[in-house]
Amino acid sequence: MSEIAKDKASRFLKKRGSMSSVNSPDIKMKEIYGRAKDSTSTVSYVDEPSHRDDASHLAVQMENTYQLGPSKCFPVDAVKHILKDVLTNYLQEEKYEPELCRQMTKTIAEVVKARVKDLMIPRYKLVVIIHIGQLNNQSLHIGSRCLWDDANDTFASFTFRNTSLFALATVYAVYLE
Amino acid sequence: MEEYQPHHDEIGFNADEAHNIVKECIDAILGGVDYNQNNVNQWIAAIVEQSLTHLVKLGKTHKYIVTCAVMQKSGSGLHTASSCFWDTTSDGTCTIRWEN
Repeated sequence: MSEIAKDKASRFLKKRGSMSSVNSPDIKMKEIYGRAKDSTSTVSYVDEPSHRDDASHLAVQMENTYQLGPSKCFPVDAVKHILKDVLTNYLQEEKYEPELCRQMTKTIAEVVKARVKDLMIPRYKLVVIIHIGQLNNQSLHIGSRCLWDDANDTFASFTFRNTSLFALATVYAVYLE
Repeated sequence: MEEYQPHHDEIGFNADEAHNIVKECIDAILGGVDYNQNNVNQWIAAIVEQSLTHLVKLGKTHKYIVTCAVMQKSGSGLHTASSCFWDTTSDGTCTIRWEN
């Protein structure tokens, strides 16, 4: 066979390796409720990764691993410990202040995500949600429901309180089949 | 032997569709009501369940996580942030802020 034909054949047979190009996009959403006198001004921004359009063209095809379940279980207790650690360290002595808490929520979300990633649980996607609010004798309810595979997917959450603020951190772990 | 090939999400997660669905659910449940301590739990459960049901009807091969926070307007502040580690080609997020 000629060299050109051989090249073509080898290119055909080259399988796409199972690279999981799971880039870690930081989709941060943040909402502030202003405290003007009689009106509520609300500001919200969403930071999205700018390469979103390109990403849809580069959908990665992964090979089958024929794996039925996760090789390593998601360690809920370790994650809860991380949440407790991070929240306590960052917020123990803080008073509620709009600017500070704005930065804090973003920072804490990033830190928690990084630490849970460090646990290196393969094939799990993470969603970290942080709420920080002022304690003012007001009432607040937060609920969540998920549609997923109960056997493999799970969540961990922790609430922290001090004299002037409260913080709720939740980590959802979703297995990638 | 036939192989089942789930067709790849063409556009990934359709945030607009989800936005409309959830906004309709919230409007239907909270439209015109005042904050009432006794009913809040019910409202949240209803909003979340209905949203999930409608999202499932879209028939996509997605897992869903729906979170809902309901707060009384009393002038206090609330900050929410989220950070996600996933595949941007197939996953996405959508947030709806609603007030009366």
